[in-house]
Amino acid sequence: MGDAGVMEKLRTEITKGEEIRYISHLDYARVIERAIRRANLPVAYSEGFNPHMKISFASALAVGVTSEAEYLDIELNQAVAAAEVQERLSAQLPAGLRLKKAKYVDQKTPALMAVVNLAQYKVIAPAGSDFAMIEKAVAEFNQALEVRYIRESPKGKKEIDVKDYVEQDIAVEQKDGLVILSMTIKITPTGSVKPGEVLKALVENFALNVVEAGALIHRTGLFIANEKVLLSPIDL
Amino acid sequence: MIKLDPAVINRVTKPARYTGNELNSVKKDHASVKVTVALALPDVYEVGMSNLGLKILYQILNDRTDTAAERVYAPWVDMEAEMRAHHIPLHTLETFTPVKDFDMIGFSLQYEMIYSNVLNMLDLAGIPLMTAERDERHPFVIGGGPCAYNAEPVADFFDLLVIGEGEEVIEDVVAVLASWKEDGKPDGRSGFLKRAAKIEGVYVPSFYDVSYQADGTIAAVTPNCSEAKPAIIKRVVKDLNDVKFATKPVVPYLDIVHDRIMLELFRGCTRGCRFCQAGVLYRPVRERTPEKLFDIAEQLVQNTGYNEISLTSLSSADYSHLREIVRGLGERFNDKGVSVSLPSLRIDSFSIELAQEVQQVRKSGLTFAPEAGTQRLRDVINKGVTEQDLEQAVGAAFRQGWSSVKLYFMIGLPTETDEDVLGIADLAYRVLNLYKEIKGRRGAKVTVSVSSFVPKAHTAFQWYGQNSTEEIERKQQLLKSRLRDRSISFNYHDSRTSFLEGVFSRGDRRLGKVLLEAWRGGAKFDGWSEYFKYGVWMEAFEKCGIDPHFYANRERNEAEILPWQHISSGVDKSFLVSEYQQAIQECYTPDCRRSTCSACGVCPGLGVEVLDWGMQA
Ligand code: SF4
Repeated sequence: MGDAGVMEKLRTEITKGEEIRYISHLDYARVIERAIRRANLPVAYSEGFNPHMKISFASALAVGVTSEAEYLDIELNQAVAAAEVQERLSAQLPAGLRLKKAKYVDQKTPALMAVVNLAQYKVIAPAGSDFAMIEKAVAEFNQALEVRYIRESPKGKKEIDVKDYVEQDIAVEQKDGLVILSMTIKITPTGSVKPGEVLKALVENFALNVVEAGALIHRTGLFIANEKVLLSPIDL
Repeated sequence: MIKLDPAVINRVTKPARYTGNELNSVKKDHASVKVTVALALPDVYEVGMSNLGLKILYQILNDRTDTAAERVYAPWVDMEAEMRAHHIPLHTLETFTPVKDFDMIGFSLQYEMIYSNVLNMLDLAGIPLMTAERDERHPFVIGGGPCAYNAEPVADFFDLLVIGEGEEVIEDVVAVLASWKEDGKPDGRSGFLKRAAKIEGVYVPSFYDVSYQADGTIAAVTPNCSEAKPAIIKRVVKDLNDVKFATKPVVPYLDIVHDRIMLELFRGCTRGCRFCQAGVLYRPVRERTPEKLFDIAEQLVQNTGYNEISLTSLSSADYSHLREIVRGLGERFNDKGVSVSLPSLRIDSFSIELAQEVQQVRKSGLTFAPEAGTQRLRDVINKGVTEQDLEQAVGAAFRQGWSSVKLYFMIGLPTETDEDVLGIADLAYRVLNLYKEIKGRRGAKVTVSVSSFVPKAHTAFQWYGQNSTEEIERKQQLLKSRLRDRSISFNYHDSRTSFLEGVFSRGDRRLGKVLLEAWRGGAKFDGWSEYFKYGVWMEAFEKCGIDPHFYANRERNEAEILPWQHISSGVDKSFLVSEYQQAIQECYTPDCRRSTCSACGVCPGLGVEVLDWGMQA
């Protein structure tokens, strides 16, 4: 263990690539933990009898979603140069995970989970009809004042208004028979909506004709936003 | 190479079962090796990935530059439906190569209830199910693991089986396969099988003919070619320190059944419980040295990043330097957040003390296996444990702060009476009361878990007629009526599953057609209660004109030729006969490793010896 009380907080930006698209957030957390252990970093552990690594994540990613903007805070007992951490940890990451940036942040920096409030995604699905029809459906969604969606979970059914969480108009483009939807979604203390759910609402309520089952989702950014600025957690 | 369409993979549960890319998985260019092997476990990913034997073979094979080994498990029913609908053949997780393009597919046969999954996987792979229907384009289908010791029910489907420990024999088989290929595959499939049959421990079922008597028992098992040995003797590793271990196992993303480091302390168990097949198959006891174990553990922590080391063996508490190992691992890895766990505990206070040391405050509950409810019956099965041992151990656990205890028992054991069955309830209440005596209040939770005894080949009870399902159910109800306390939870196994397991564990070749019929009727994942289709099985027996009771419930006499008689575990038949007699007479046979040799025949017969580092000191 390092000097008592000395604690350094390292913030990292990581990708979750195609190779591990289908792992859950819990699986992802385990992968990171194991990689840190293999890298022999002086990571801090909680006190008590079931010690766990002091690491924290931003916003959980659903199974099947890739990302180029995952963030992770690691608390270390000793400061190891960020470049060295990057090198040692990178060597231990499995295929699909890439450590893009690492830097120390103030120990008092609020937890990622508490400040991240906006996420951007690209939803890519094979087109099921001509592009004009698809554009029309998206435009109707964008104009709608509310979009009712029934969320089914093991806890039961719950109705939400998708539009409460969609920050800007959804942009749509086409490429090689694929439809690419770009969406910006709010993450609020009382909840959020998943890009897959937005897609479902588009298909069910607006007859968006795409092959929904074949859709691939990619998170392109995660932000701390206020009225004026859009900041990535690593640029804080 | 198979490419999975997102539209397929998005629809199935736990898609990470099928997408590979796990840490430490090995991808080789098939053009650069001589032999390709698909290592299979015919159960779902989470079960298959937890098998230690396959992890070891994977590493041994991939360490060879001339061989590529890849993994394949049974797709779950939803994935299977997608695969069939979209004509996706069974393929491996490393390079997504169709299994039918490999030279060899090796199945680990851990339990009888996965036989239907073997057929299902072969079918999904597009490989003809029967040995006789395969030609040079098809892979060799090989099997190993405990069920290989009586693989007669699946003899029609396997080209060869490996009897005993796989570390060395797998390399022999691969070498023979490589040279047969290099020689231009002389004499086709049987050319390879004849060469392989000469390897010690290799069994080629098609090289033996079985004839039957009028009463249905076996008249003779006769080799039909000169390469077939009259008896196939198990392979055994002399010194575990000398063979490779799985020091760089594939680390899954999903939370699998045993998602931790498995450190095998030793192989074998000489306590001599008469019902235990593993106790016979893995004789004699051979320990790894503490130094070797520390070395392996270091590599495993470094190569996996796991946070738990589980000390696995048939009875880990019997390891001669257990305390040293537990403490040493703690010292080395505690500050890396790595804990040590002991999955199986012997019933004594030493174990409790150690459990305390290991588990710290996470009092998750302790598990004990008295196996039978009365001392008389524990003597019959040679479970060298007394009532006082149990009370002492449980008492120690309660004093240390544990409050929940799980007790494992069997019903349907030889000579069992209702008194023995009710003895299980008495023991459970005794444990409850013990807590009150020690703590001065109620509050203990006792879980009584009762399985039905299934007689296994190669054990002292191999001649015993298994209890009928009706008898088992009567005993379960009898016990249930006695266990009416809120603090006791009682669970027991489906008697019909145990019956079917009983049929196949002592079955012969004639069951092959039943298996085929049941699989055609939709049998798969029989070990998963939600998929077990008893009716389909019973129909299959009827259609094939085979009486399952003949195999499960019939008491054999010692002169009868048993279907597995040409397969040798190294333990003499005379020893098993005498153990059965000792059982009836309720006589105890001591542990051969720390008491006298009980002359089972293994050590002199196979040229091996007990390795116990505690004895050397
Ligand atoms: S031969 Fe003797 S020492 Fe060896 S395993 Fe058998 S009983 Fe034990």
